[in-house]
Amino acid sequence: MLYLAVRMARRRVAALVAVACAVLGGAVLVTGTGVLAESGLRSQLPAGRLGGVDVVVSADQTFRPGGDLPIALPERGAVPAQLADRLGELPGVTGVVGDVSFPAALVDADGRVVPGEDPSTAGHGWSSTGLLQDAPVDGRKPGDSREVAVDRDMAAAAGVQAGDRVEVVAAGRDAAEYRVSGVVDAPGAGVFFADPTAEQLAGRDSGPRAGTVDLIGLRTETGATDSVAAAVRDQLRGTDMVVATGEDRGDLAAPDAVASRSLLILLAGSLSGIVVLITGFVMAGALGVSIAGQRRELALMRAVGATPKQIRRLATAQAMVIAAVALVPGAALGYLLAGQFRQQLVERGVLPETLPLTFSPLPALATALLLALAVQVSARGAAWRTSRMPATEAVAESRTEPRNPSRIRTRAGLLLILAATTLSVVPLLARTVLGAAATSMAGVIGAIGLAMAGPALARHAGETLARRLRPGVSAPTWLAVSNVRGYALRIAGVVSTLAMAVVFVLTYTFAQTTVMTATSDDVRTGTLAQERLSAPALGGLPEGTLDAVRETSGVRAAAPVGSTTVVWPYKLLGEDEVESSSAMILTPDAWSVLDLDVRFGSLAGLSGDTIAVSSDVARSRGAGLGERIGLILGEGTRVNAEVVAVYDRGLGFGPVALSRDLATGHTTTGLDESILVRTDGTATAQRELAALAESRPGLTVEPTDTGTGGSLTEAPPEVWVNLATIVVLLGYLLLSIANKLVATTAQRRGEIATLRLNGTTPRQIRTMMRREAAMIGAAALTTGLVLAAIPLTLLGIGFLDRPWPAGPVWLLPATALTIISLAFVTIEVPTRRALRTAPAEALAGRE
Amino acid sequence: MSKLLKGVEAASAAPDHTPAIALAHLGKTYPGGVRALDDVSLTVERGTFLAVMGPSGSGKSTLMHCAAGLDAPTVGSVRIDGYEIAGLNETRRTELRRERIGFVFQSYNLVPSLSVADNITLPLRLAGRAPDQEWLRTLIERVDLADRLTHRPAELSGGQQQRAAIVRALAARPAVVFADEPTGALDLRSAHEVLNLLRDLVDELRQTVVMVTHDPAAAAQAHQALVMADGRVVDTLHTPTAADLAARLVALGEG
Repeated sequence: MLYLAVRMARRRVAALVAVACAVLGGAVLVTGTGVLAESGLRSQLPAGRLGGVDVVVSADQTFRPGGDLPIALPERGAVPAQLADRLGELPGVTGVVGDVSFPAALVDADGRVVPGEDPSTAGHGWSSTGLLQDAPVDGRKPGDSREVAVDRDMAAAAGVQAGDRVEVVAAGRDAAEYRVSGVVDAPGAGVFFADPTAEQLAGRDSGPRAGTVDLIGLRTETGATDSVAAAVRDQLRGTDMVVATGEDRGDLAAPDAVASRSLLILLAGSLSGIVVLITGFVMAGALGVSIAGQRRELALMRAVGATPKQIRRLATAQAMVIAAVALVPGAALGYLLAGQFRQQLVERGVLPETLPLTFSPLPALATALLLALAVQVSARGAAWRTSRMPATEAVAESRTEPRNPSRIRTRAGLLLILAATTLSVVPLLARTVLGAAATSMAGVIGAIGLAMAGPALARHAGETLARRLRPGVSAPTWLAVSNVRGYALRIAGVVSTLAMAVVFVLTYTFAQTTVMTATSDDVRTGTLAQERLSAPALGGLPEGTLDAVRETSGVRAAAPVGSTTVVWPYKLLGEDEVESSSAMILTPDAWSVLDLDVRFGSLAGLSGDTIAVSSDVARSRGAGLGERIGLILGEGTRVNAEVVAVYDRGLGFGPVALSRDLATGHTTTGLDESILVRTDGTATAQRELAALAESRPGLTVEPTDTGTGGSLTEAPPEVWVNLATIVVLLGYLLLSIANKLVATTAQRRGEIATLRLNGTTPRQIRTMMRREAAMIGAAALTTGLVLAAIPLTLLGIGFLDRPWPAGPVWLLPATALTIISLAFVTIEVPTRRALRTAPAEALAGRE
Repeated sequence: MSKLLKGVEAASAAPDHTPAIALAHLGKTYPGGVRALDDVSLTVERGTFLAVMGPSGSGKSTLMHCAAGLDAPTVGSVRIDGYEIAGLNETRRTELRRERIGFVFQSYNLVPSLSVADNITLPLRLAGRAPDQEWLRTLIERVDLADRLTHRPAELSGGQQQRAAIVRALAARPAVVFADEPTGALDLRSAHEVLNLLRDLVDELRQTVVMVTHDPAAAAQAHQALVMADGRVVDTLHTPTAADLAARLVALGEG
């Protein structure tokens, strides 16, 4: 079969290039997505500052819901400090370190802040240097509470060396002067305080986290790592602490980096749906054209004794050979694409730079399997009709088109379009990002439905057109219309692919921009405060800042706002679901700076164990006013909190807000992230605030309304990710459409030659083909716009209270222009080429 | 199925008196009610050259398609070499066809992308059988195509293409060769060559050949000629002459 398949393949270059391109592009996209997914599950973070210890113990930073993927908890949990002593006595242990981290930064002589690698965890006790792999110290350890040792990079940036004096802002205290006792030669190690001072700054001498450390590191005798780790696991049985050695240590070094790793899984998950749909659509289309071009040969094979099964195997074998050839470079490019994508995410601050990708053969293997399956199904489907017919009928039919589009196919297509329309109602019910995703899905599913119902629709449209045609119409136009009617399958294949591009671009882009506009509308109208005060270089706002702001003249109200992560287990249709989402941390006076459009209850009740939830969540998870909700906080503590307010602006402010009382002691830094300030609106007030920020190192003040809410250049990372996906997928789609059109037109050589033999001039043929291109382009635009219009209208109503979406208007003419010119160019060029061969010769070469 | 057939074939290779083709009460009605065959019964003995004639629409092509298992009859029985094929499904019919029947079409039906040699061995390849090289060489020399084997069909003249198609039909040593207007697309000389070739196959190799044609001169080469009209066999002529046949057909046209 393979031999025949290869022989037959040699003469169909155009169609096979289309198949190869489809598979190649598909392999790139699927492999790339696969690499992201695998990295999200398995990538190893570098051990970093834990490089010097062999065994690490920390709180379990993952929440493992039954039967679902584990969720990384980004806030640092605590382990009892006295555990360090106990573990230190295990045989084989040569050293033990109880490590704490807290926000710390240096202030140089000019009052500029010199942040460490991660300002919110740069401060440690001196004993934490025991975690470092190889850290020679220039100087000595901090001797008392007025001394610090700093890492080499920070010392150089602040222009200090051992013996100098330097101002340090640590753990929300005001800047204080310390003497530099030594410089530690380890990159990114941070600021080291005397151990008792560190304990005090980290809040471990009293309060909720008294007597705890962040993690414990053990040095072991050579070769004893595994036995020590086993002994430690024995000791910890029954607790929720975890033990790591070797490459796993990196997972315990930075919980927030681990949390962003699970972002990769989410990303891959959200990409996979659309990638698989588009890839499948494109490959099925390309194979359809390729096999349609061989219908005559396949029918001849039937006539000389090939069974239906052999015909299908032949068609499949050929497709598989092409696919195998295209798969290898495709998968290789997929790895490169994933690398590029990661780089972009790092540059946009979505991923930490330390998080690498995992490159294993798994994604390529999975891609090979998936694509092989898709190719098998598409090729068999495309050859089905020809293979099943009695041999004589197959030969007869292969000279023209199948007589009637299959009724099942048409019905299934119409059903899909109907389902898509139903799906597009979702944004009316759920005003969330997920709800908006239904819009794009509805569009694409609708386009697939169109591809299936297309032949019947095209024939219908062609017949209507033919009836309406004036009798005196020019010959090329009459021919073009007849072709639309007579070759409904071919025309519909082309139109539906082009329409798919239109639908895809419009629904995806406008869904993104609409949600973005609605979100920034929410944020703008919901934020009463004009100014935001924050201190990113310090890892959090120093404690006295809020009082100082409130005392500033012209300030009407000020309230701290933070953010953390909560995991919310709930039941949906009887199934256990778990969702991890970001949550605001608010105080009872948040109402004075934020208007969340509270429907029930009041934000003023946000003290103690209480939360406020968005009305979407309240409705879907049964979390109405007064309900008590079980949540898991960012470092793994289970809490039970009462709902005291239900607000409407969930799109802009997130599904849930915690009271600050509830979050205290459960975040890594324990500091306020920012303060929202409502002033009397005068320039004086603004100046006074700026002066306040100026007078304290590290404080920045910025207006809350940056005025760029709706523009694409300022898009938040997740929108950027989606737009990048659209561009990549669109490129793939357009390339495959061009290939498909060229291949389809190239297959019409015989038809063109017959027309010429019947006295059609080359000029008339070109005109006919242009008229066809015009009809194809117009039909694609019209159906594409119609299919996109319904979901986008509903999206507009759901998110913006108006029946049209938000977004760049130029997208419409740009799409129209692209589609029309694509149709013209890809039909014109192969037509001209076909016209260069003498008609008799073209026909002779065919039989 | 095909294994079974092979076994049976070996047994039936011994000369016996099973007719090559036996049709009984064959009928074919196309969707829309067109009755192309109406109760045709017919027996073709081994080593016979039978011509089927008739005006367009008389049912001669349908008769051949049904007898050859290319199409399924609506009612009736078709036995090839003693095996009933009327009730078989598409796949089994194809398999039986591959084993026992060879085809020559008016339009040659050579696969354009394959070389002449590949086309000749195509049915064997599809059946998963190794070609009998010596037999093939004999055939190829007989039809004078030895120097054309690596060419593509488009590079051959019509007569050469049809001779290649005849070799393809004979490659599997079928019980019957069906020829559907084999000379319809050929010039007089090529047509004459092809007809002589078919007649020689019957006389020299005791090959059974059934040829559908509307050309009385072609049919005159056959041992026997059937004349069809309106889906029925209306006449049977032994060792017909072209003149007899022409007269018979003209009479039908007037009737």
